[in-house]
Amino acid sequence: MFRKILIANRGEIAVRIIRACRELGIKTVAVYSEADREALHTQLADEAVCIGPAAAAQSYLNMESILSACIATKADAIHPGFGFLSENSRFVELCEKCNITFIGPSAAMIDKMGNKSEARKTMMEAGVPVVPGTKEAVYDARRGKELAEQIGYPVMIKASSGGGGKGMRVSESPEDFEENFKVAQLESVRGFADNTMYIEKYVQDPRHIEFQIIADKFGNVVQLGERDCSIQRHHQKVIEESPSVALTPELREEMGAAAVRAAKAVGYESAGTIEFLLDKNKNFYFMEMNTRIQVEHPVTEMVSGVDLIKEMISIAQGNPLSVKQEEIHLQGHAIECRINAEDPEHNFRPCPGVIRQVHLPGGKGVRIDTAVYSGYEIPPYYDSMIAKVIVHGRDRSEAVDKMRSTLGELIIDGVTTNVDFQYEILNNEDFQSGDITTDFIPKHFA
Amino acid sequence: MANLKHMFKKTAALFGDREDEDQKGQNPSVPAGLWMKCPKCGELIYKEDVKNHAYVCPKCEGYFRIKTKTRIRMVADPGSFQEWFADLDGGNPLDYPGYEEKIKELREKTKIREAVTIGECTVDGTRVVLGVCDARFLMGSMGYVVGERVTRAFEKATELGLPVVIFCSSGGARMQEGIISLMQMAKTSAAIRRHSDAGLFYLPVLTDPTTGGVTASFAMLGDIILAEPGALIGFAGPRVIAQTIGQKLPEGFQRAEFLVEKGIIDGIVERKDLKQTIARLVALHSKELSYTSYPRTRARFLEENEMEQLPEEQQEDVPSGEKTKKKAHKEKKFLTAWERVEISRSAARPTSLDYIGQVFDTFGELHGDRAFRDDGAVVGGIGTLNGQPVTVIGQQKGKSVKENIHRNFGMASPEGYRKALRLMKQAEKFGRPIINFVDTPGAACGIGAEERGQGEAIARNLMEMSALKVPVLSIFIGEGGSGGALGLAVANEVWMMENATYSILSPEGFASILWKDGKKAKEASEIMKITAEDLKRLHIVEWVIPEEEPADEENLPEIAACMRKEMDRFLEEKSSVSGEEMAAARYDRFRVF
Repeated sequence: MFRKILIANRGEIAVRIIRACRELGIKTVAVYSEADREALHTQLADEAVCIGPAAAAQSYLNMESILSACIATKADAIHPGFGFLSENSRFVELCEKCNITFIGPSAAMIDKMGNKSEARKTMMEAGVPVVPGTKEAVYDARRGKELAEQIGYPVMIKASSGGGGKGMRVSESPEDFEENFKVAQLESVRGFADNTMYIEKYVQDPRHIEFQIIADKFGNVVQLGERDCSIQRHHQKVIEESPSVALTPELREEMGAAAVRAAKAVGYESAGTIEFLLDKNKNFYFMEMNTRIQVEHPVTEMVSGVDLIKEMISIAQGNPLSVKQEEIHLQGHAIECRINAEDPEHNFRPCPGVIRQVHLPGGKGVRIDTAVYSGYEIPPYYDSMIAKVIVHGRDRSEAVDKMRSTLGELIIDGVTTNVDFQYEILNNEDFQSGDITTDFIPKHFA
Repeated sequence: MANLKHMFKKTAALFGDREDEDQKGQNPSVPAGLWMKCPKCGELIYKEDVKNHAYVCPKCEGYFRIKTKTRIRMVADPGSFQEWFADLDGGNPLDYPGYEEKIKELREKTKIREAVTIGECTVDGTRVVLGVCDARFLMGSMGYVVGERVTRAFEKATELGLPVVIFCSSGGARMQEGIISLMQMAKTSAAIRRHSDAGLFYLPVLTDPTTGGVTASFAMLGDIILAEPGALIGFAGPRVIAQTIGQKLPEGFQRAEFLVEKGIIDGIVERKDLKQTIARLVALHSKELSYTSYPRTRARFLEENEMEQLPEEQQEDVPSGEKTKKKAHKEKKFLTAWERVEISRSAARPTSLDYIGQVFDTFGELHGDRAFRDDGAVVGGIGTLNGQPVTVIGQQKGKSVKENIHRNFGMASPEGYRKALRLMKQAEKFGRPIINFVDTPGAACGIGAEERGQGEAIARNLMEMSALKVPVLSIFIGEGGSGGALGLAVANEVWMMENATYSILSPEGFASILWKDGKKAKEASEIMKITAEDLKRLHIVEWVIPEEEPADEENLPEIAACMRKEMDRFLEEKSSVSGEEMAAARYDRFRVF
């Protein structure tokens, strides 16, 4: 049993992890940057260590400082949360060398899934459908163009190391291919120092459907159903829900089985997510695997009843999964809205500042994961997400209504947020009828 | 602002303290040697990162000194290194107390037997004699064993006809061996002379630190001298200098970059490019690549690159000199001499480096006159044309004001001519043809230039160039201003771009001297006979490179292709001419005037 866990993160996810540890009776160590001295995670943890200046590169990404903090406080394990060092295989290796348990998958698995070409190859070998495209890495536009002709336009040009829309371009025809390829490659070189690209079929009007899996050291893998994350803006998810209206029980079964196969193919361990694209004809394609806990994990927790963070901790301690696949019965419908301190009226620019007053709604089936409190100052250095509102209803319609009601009660006074924007989505007829694709926001709010 | 400090109940208060369930020995800890502090930037870095980054700090890019074994691994093909003279031992010539014990102790500690390790290896498949100095061994100082090993390395390399690469790193002489140590400087230098006289290539790579007697002997005697970034290189150590002159030394003094600027070494090589650079330089200096083997070199090159000669009908599209010329005569508008003067001076006109980039398959620049300064007005280095290494030199104008300050508007200083001569002599040693691009308003005019002997520098070039035993080609691409131009133009053939000029001095100067009126430059230009056409008629130039439109960025590839084709002809023709005949032909070429 871990005695003490260091949480190498900040914000609501750090708070979420601290809470899980507390419930388990495990002491916690928060790490914080100079800008987060007053942050909730800093205050809530049993101990807190300052790891550097505000800039993430010098604090939350500073491996030396974090490992030193862990050693100084004698924590047995590190939970990385999401973002920051959560998918940094080098960090995982260093933890191992310092006799610290990294709560997550091994370095090798992170590397395997982090390299998109290799991930794709692994999935194809495991019989998981992938988007038609190049199996091999492409380095120059001319070769890329030849492959694009073979695959058929429109195609997606993707950087092997890319993410969050960086190093990614859609080419509609041979005329715009070269330009798009060059731009994407340049972004990748600048952002990730990697010029490896690949070309794939651009799936039109897709839904983003991802499956949550948990896997233990003994090869047991359980899938906890899907999340529909089609409501995205610039590849950033805005609303997530489970289940997806697009999946029939048969398709869910089929995709879930593919997700389990995918996890087994890499010998995965810990919580992870298999992302699929689902086209309008209900063909699904493996997109990527996220080897970490995700922002939207509460949606799955609400419908499955499994506490994913506790499960991760338990798996890291070498325990078998606490549930079997046949014990999983997904109940009702859950929706999550991400609340960001940003201004939708001004191109969603971040709005850091002091929160004068907060009122968090409550009631049956309402969960709010946040790190803000009255008087809290949102620092300008990090992600603008300040809260996640999650509701759980009998069915989708009740969940949507509950979300509308809950958002109506949410007060975050002092900074501009996207709550009204969330409202507009919830009130949209297409959203209400479940007619959503990843194009939803550009289509309705361009 | 709300304060939540100490408001929340601690886990232990809620669930009790589990500290007792102690798991002994499970505490997290940093294994020894996982991290290290960078001596340059002081940041904490992972040893493994440093290892994987060629022993360069991943944070500040500072270079770490490395062990002999690591250096050999960095350069030699795996498993190819065979040590020579390992058993060679020295004594204690001064009977210096404790010296033998010290050596013994160091041998155990460093696992090397002396401050230099010599052997043979292959680098990308090419045989090379490799020497590596190691600063861990009495600061890499040169006593009998170091001097003897280096000397024997050159002797054996001369015997076997092999190039030598030495990684220098030394504090200088070995004090414990006194005057015997001093003699090593003369001995090693003499051995290098013989190796050089045999036409063999020597490449020292100076690493941090290279000072004292090693700098004043084998470190500075390379055909090409490279250094690692930031390496301290000098004769006297910086501390000694500062104490002697009682002044604070400037930032960057005696660093590798400083030496490049001062013209002492050819360039800097980063570790990531180290092996590749050595392999390329050694290959370029292969004896088989003398100009006399050009037809064979070209055939092999074309075969390797699967570039078949274009079939006849496609050759139509290639702008050949003759054809373009004919066409040009028909369509082109007549240009006055003055108009050509203006075109030759135009900022839009391609510079030497523009042509070099287009004409040659590869080009690597070398720097410095080994004496005073690297002149920005002259660029030089080794290019390849159809696989044939060629020494390429050009007068270089800038494209912006800032660049022009560095390039001195293409007006070479004495050190520029001396750099050119150094590179031409180097070309002669290795049988490389020389191609010069001439583009200068004239030689640099100023106090410094005179102090350093501008006249002497040009004169020496004229004399030495006349006797070079390799083909020399000079191409006038823009302005050909007087002695400043001639200093690069004592060639077997001189070509001229149609809109280039070549004259005894500028039309402005001509008008001012003869007519006491510089404003009459236009009239002067018409009677001076300075255009390519005029000079062809006077047999000053062999060939006029046609310019259908004045050369610019757009038609540069076309003109370069035309030049390249003619250079191919030149090299092929000269490949059957001996060095002596080549020099004699050059003598005769200028004898007629």
